[in-house]
Amino acid sequence: MTEAVQNVAQPQIEVESLNLWYGEKQALKNISMQIPKNSVTALIGPSGCGKSTFIRCLNRMNDLIKNCRIEGKVLVDGRDIYGKGVDVVDLRKQVGMVFQKPNPFPMSIYDNIAYGPRIHGASKKDIDGTVEHALRSAALWNETSDRLRSPALSLSGGQQQRLCIARTMAVKPEIILFDEPCSALDPISTSRIEELIMDLKKDYTIVIVTHNMQQAARISDYTGFFLMGELIEFGQTRHIFENPLEKSTEDYITGRFG
Amino acid sequence: MGLSAKTSEKIAFALLTLAALTVAGFVLVILAYIFFNGYGAISIEFLTEMPRRMMTEGGIYPAIVGTVSLIIVSMAVALPLGVLAAIYLNEYAGETRTTWVIEMAINNLAGTPSVVFGLFGLAMFVKYLGFGPSILSASLTLSLLIIPVIIRSSEEALIAVPKEYREASLALGISRWQTIRHVVLPAAIPGVVTGSILSIGRVAGETAPILLTGAAYFLPRLPDSIYSQFMALPYHLFVLATAGTNIAQTRPLQYGTALVLLMVVLGVNVIAVLVRRHYRQKLKI
Amino acid sequence: MLDRNYKEKMIESVLFSVSTLTVVILLLICLFLFRDGLLLFEDVPFSNFAAGRFWYPTSVNAQFGILPLFFGSLIVTAGAILFSVPLGIASAIYISEMANPRVADYLKPFVEILAGVPSVVYGFFGLVVLVPFVQQTFNLATGQTALTGSVMLGIMALPTIITISEDAISSVPASLKQGSLALGATRWQTIYKVTVPAALSGISAAVMLGMGRAIGETMTVMMVTGNTAVIPSFPGGLFDPVRTMTATIALEMGEVPQGSDHFHALFAVGSVLFILTFLINLVADSIKKKYRFKVD
Repeated sequence: MTEAVQNVAQPQIEVESLNLWYGEKQALKNISMQIPKNSVTALIGPSGCGKSTFIRCLNRMNDLIKNCRIEGKVLVDGRDIYGKGVDVVDLRKQVGMVFQKPNPFPMSIYDNIAYGPRIHGASKKDIDGTVEHALRSAALWNETSDRLRSPALSLSGGQQQRLCIARTMAVKPEIILFDEPCSALDPISTSRIEELIMDLKKDYTIVIVTHNMQQAARISDYTGFFLMGELIEFGQTRHIFENPLEKSTEDYITGRFG
Repeated sequence: MGLSAKTSEKIAFALLTLAALTVAGFVLVILAYIFFNGYGAISIEFLTEMPRRMMTEGGIYPAIVGTVSLIIVSMAVALPLGVLAAIYLNEYAGETRTTWVIEMAINNLAGTPSVVFGLFGLAMFVKYLGFGPSILSASLTLSLLIIPVIIRSSEEALIAVPKEYREASLALGISRWQTIRHVVLPAAIPGVVTGSILSIGRVAGETAPILLTGAAYFLPRLPDSIYSQFMALPYHLFVLATAGTNIAQTRPLQYGTALVLLMVVLGVNVIAVLVRRHYRQKLKI
Repeated sequence: MLDRNYKEKMIESVLFSVSTLTVVILLLICLFLFRDGLLLFEDVPFSNFAAGRFWYPTSVNAQFGILPLFFGSLIVTAGAILFSVPLGIASAIYISEMANPRVADYLKPFVEILAGVPSVVYGFFGLVVLVPFVQQTFNLATGQTALTGSVMLGIMALPTIITISEDAISSVPASLKQGSLALGATRWQTIYKVTVPAALSGISAAVMLGMGRAIGETMTVMMVTGNTAVIPSFPGGLFDPVRTMTATIALEMGEVPQGSDHFHALFAVGSVLFILTFLINLVADSIKKKYRFKVD
């Protein structure tokens, strides 16, 4: 394996020799990576390669899985999130996540977005502003401003996913993780979300897992290629797609397997 | 010899169908029998009057009051305990030895005969804690009986809440308990309510436990506190049918009491179904 | 933040304590039951209880032999199982393998109702319908017999047996059945050669739990079995009155002076009943675990 890890100026997330086991099975092998601030980083690879497992290490969602053991370091803003005294709840406020399937709560559109700030103790007045701002940022305001009280589950799949993005933004994270956010959506909804993600990088650091290579090429600044739990190659998206250093990266990108 | 595969399949399937029909037949026969014999006895007076002439005439009002009291007190005890235990088991407990012991205890409580609960209630609540034969002793005994039922049905309701809701909330930096309180429980409530309503039927119908902990053969007046003895529908039916002053003459009263009891229990089941449907529709809109 | 974590920990420990309450209850049941039960043996030798052939609790020379009650419970339960196991398993197979889903949806509420009817109502029905029927059909002195109790208990054990067997049968992977059908086996051959054997441990657990239900049932047997404490013969004893352990407790507890030998003897009987059902549950539980493992 090569030293494909690239040193980037101003990394916001630094991963150092991360290993992860589900019981006896090792799912991530010695991953190191530096993810720069205010950029879009895409993680690609065939299914089961560990890319989703990896992204769930960045906000410690893997904590919920029984028998999951992690070694190594993940630094966010220079602090090891697996270190002692780290408050997972605070970490997740700082590192938001959007999931594969749109998962709005069975509440109104408004309540979905107000949910986070409300529990975090925001005042009623602030919440109105936060909801509108989040919906506008997620390009959903025009479609929903006149029916904020209707159930979120009445929205289309694409709208639901944008609602989930708005919901994440409402708690004001610095980093947003996207775990295959478009895999359940149609092409038109997908392109709207892609536009949104590119727009968001001026305010957030974005990491996105995708099985769609064109998507990675279209929207990301950096790309990491995972295979069998290893990070094969990581670098600027242009380089990965035009001049992959590894044979397996090239095979995957040119569609020879996966 | 030997039948062809096709023939033996036909015979087997006919027998299986017959078995299922027999089971359904039992239900229909029992319900119809009680209904047709009992509905003549039921009237406003029957439901709202005290028994008269050594229980050979009059109504079953005190038994209804007693059964309702048992339901209220035992649910007030069992419901919070059962739901909280279910939350722990489904949302917090790991696969530890302690969890295994708790699960085993619940299974065994669920399988312990009701008369054994009655003995325990007699020894613990009536005698040891000094509550005497009373609504309180009987209700506490019944609550022990239904705690496993409530735990199991609440657990089922909690399991049915999609994992995605929990993930979404946790990923927003919401703590575990807040997630449970604001997302998981609201979504699980229809199931929890349904299960609890069903256990009301159990409280209304159990006889052996209350027989040992405070149910009275006959009382001239209504209970005035939870420390009073009480009459209850199932025990009243038992008394009329086996130990009454004139068993043959009071048959109509017996059928009437059986029908009222059956209607309480089945009515509770119907309510449970309606509640479930109501919530389902509400979620769909 | 520390404050919040403290609160979370507090809540978790409260929830944990509540759930350990179930264990506490179980232990308290053991304690109170065994304590009063064991007091019997201060006055009565253990062997007179465990191997005694006579239950004469109120005669001058009181005897507290549990055998007639134990065998009374046994014969009634055995009869109930003989009758409800084939019927219950057949119905479970029908519901999960044969009936189209709409018919199955109509049948399931029937099973639920069967489970919901109070035991005293079963007892009453048995008393007014089955008891006279048994008496006339077999031309007996009384219709209150072990057989009558068995039939009623069998009906009452049906929902347990059907629900749990059905669960086990429908969790047999479809691939297994399809494999058999693809080899040209008929549906019935598939059911009895593949599906039922694969679900066997679940079905056994269902039978065990149905048995537990029958052995612990009180009101119904008390109302229809005649309550004569004599060691029954088998199978002829099915046509005689018997008395079960449960009925004895419920019948006699009202009249005994607290703290007497008779009082303690009833607790001793209760202890035996408790241990018996405890063991049955334990076995059913471990069988069920095994089958779950297999399906995974």
